[in-house]
Amino acid sequence: MTATITISRALPALPQGWEAEKDFKKVGKISGTTERTIEPVGPLFLSHAERLIHKRTFSEHDR
Amino acid sequence: MSAGKTGLKAEDRKAIGITLGNSNSSIAYLKEDNVEVIANEDGDRQIPTVLSYVDGDEYYGQQAKAFLVRQPKQTVAYFRDFLGKEFKDIDPTHNHASVHPEDANGAVSFTLKEKAEEDAAPSTLSVSEITSRYLRRLVTAASDYRGEKVTSAVITVPTNFSEKQKSALVEAAAAADLEVLQMISEPVSAILAYNAKPEVANVDKIVVVADLGGTRSDVAVVAQRGGLYTILATEHDYEFAGYALDKVLIDHFAKEFIKKHSIDPREDARSLAKLKLEAEQTKKALSLGNNASFSIESLAQGIDFQSTINRLRYETVGRTVLGGFTRLVESVIKKAGLDPLDVDEVILSGGTSHTPRIAHNLRAIFPESTSILAPSTSANAINPSELAVRGAALQASLIEGREAEEIEQATHPAVTTVPHLTNAIGVVSLGTDGEEIFTPIIAPETSVPARRTVRFDAPQQGGDVLIKIAEGNTHIKVIKPEPKVKSTNATVEDAKDSDDDSEDEDSEEEEEEKREKVWKVGSTLAEAAVRGTKSGAKVEVTIIIGADLSVKVECREVGGKGGVRGTI
Ligand SMILES: Nc1ncnc2c1ncn2[C@@H]1O[C@H](COP(=O)(O)OP(=O)(O)OP(=O)(O)O)[C@@H](O)[C@H]1O
Ligand SMILES: [Mg+2]
Repeated sequence: MTATITISRALPALPQGWEAEKDFKKVGKISGTTERTIEPVGPLFLSHAERLIHKRTFSEHDR
Repeated sequence: MSAGKTGLKAEDRKAIGITLGNSNSSIAYLKEDNVEVIANEDGDRQIPTVLSYVDGDEYYGQQAKAFLVRQPKQTVAYFRDFLGKEFKDIDPTHNHASVHPEDANGAVSFTLKEKAEEDAAPSTLSVSEITSRYLRRLVTAASDYRGEKVTSAVITVPTNFSEKQKSALVEAAAAADLEVLQMISEPVSAILAYNAKPEVANVDKIVVVADLGGTRSDVAVVAQRGGLYTILATEHDYEFAGYALDKVLIDHFAKEFIKKHSIDPREDARSLAKLKLEAEQTKKALSLGNNASFSIESLAQGIDFQSTINRLRYETVGRTVLGGFTRLVESVIKKAGLDPLDVDEVILSGGTSHTPRIAHNLRAIFPESTSILAPSTSANAINPSELAVRGAALQASLIEGREAEEIEQATHPAVTTVPHLTNAIGVVSLGTDGEEIFTPIIAPETSVPARRTVRFDAPQQGGDVLIKIAEGNTHIKVIKPEPKVKSTNATVEDAKDSDDDSEDEDSEEEEEEKREKVWKVGSTLAEAAVRGTKSGAKVEVTIIIGADLSVKVECREVGGKGGVRGTI
């Protein structure tokens, strides 16, 4: 489980008239990635590898 | 990549971490949750990577290094980089004062007399054989120290060690009855050593590791994201390294000797070997104190030599070499497409990193927020000579209980080579003046899949809140100062100051321009509403990026029910 960080900054109020189905609106997509190699070391890498090898999601892995 | 073919059961392993350098090697293991760097029978934790045969006996480490003066033709040094290479591809620069490498049927080899007998035939030993014998000595020292037979190791290697070199190392180890559990890269091993405390292991940061050794310097820029490490750029340099600093002192004292005696001690091989050993001692002493002595009995033609040098003088004569390390670090940051302002931490690793001037020079090119982890710049620094081996020991303890196939599967490219985000993903929040500010939640260069959770304040009065998920990136803002109006009635003191010290004035001018990293909001990915938050509430936002680059967003009021979810 990764730690939760608290940021002392406020979120904006919802603009008047904002509406969406189930209050969620898709707008865009992730624009770019680079293929890189993670170094296979450290305890959290082992968790990463286990998730990938056993095709588990983060929450399945937490259990 | 891992060997594990020894038929050893995971539970029967006794594993250690090993660094095998061209100059020095180290061994370490995890003892009751603490890394213990092992001192060999000579009491050394930095064990010279030297093997020597004198009168039929084999010597290694410090004892073998001492034989470079009297028995150079029986002493093999600086061989690690030759492993797995063809003769035509090696650089024998550092082997002039010990057994020269030669080409024996394509294998890099060394010829010396192993046996004591006058008429014994010389042996030609391949670099693999030499490595194997040397590793055997390290493993024996570790086994003796632990009181149980060491079977396995995690060994650190440079980031530019080829697959061929790695297989050669595994084979050399196997011949020494040592199972290589894994080979891990030297810079990341140094980071592991610093991250041994679990609370620091999980902070996202950009780390520069400058591994400054004896014959080479290797610098890497590493993105640490959620406890995963990705190398963004590396640079390898064979000009700026410890030997070049030794040479500065050799030349300095040789000149002094010439002035007095009109003899150049560098022209005689034995005198030069003595100069080299003493220069290294003096150099090390100058890392600790402001003055160091330099004294050699019978340096040349039976004449003793004795002198001293202070740190300032050393830094003056060594200025060009010392400056080279800074430029090397600058160049690799540039190669990674980053700015010194992007660097959170600089880890100085390797023996040469003890040099105060190198750390101070680096301090000057980074903002104050960057920690420079070296003995002379940080009270929390770990001995740079032990960093890589500490990381190797931690990794060894982490995986020693795992089956070889399991390790192999985890280190497979299908698991390690994955997309990394180009831009940050974050949330648009409000600054103190109500302006929109991008707050990154997932940093650029984070590998996918990834998950992060962040909490924000809801608007003070509560109510409905907008969560705008967007991409973002940084740019460097250069703030030009207001043109200074030279006060006409400058005080006498001011005038005196600037007269006195023109250098001071220069640096003042440089400081006038301020550079700052600022986040820029990019394209929006999604919007969500969290309705009816209480006054003073906090809102928690979780972003999960899938391996397929899907973005799952979960937002909720902390302590509240329900919340909003959506997937892009
Ligand atoms: N206290 C010190 N101050 C300055 N230099 C030092 C100090 N201790 C060791 N060194 C130098 O560090 C160098 C050795 O570095 P290290 O032990 O990291 O070796 P290595 O990784 O085997 O080197 P390489 O593979 O580059 O030859 C030598 O040049 C040595 O003189
Ligand atoms: Mg090294």
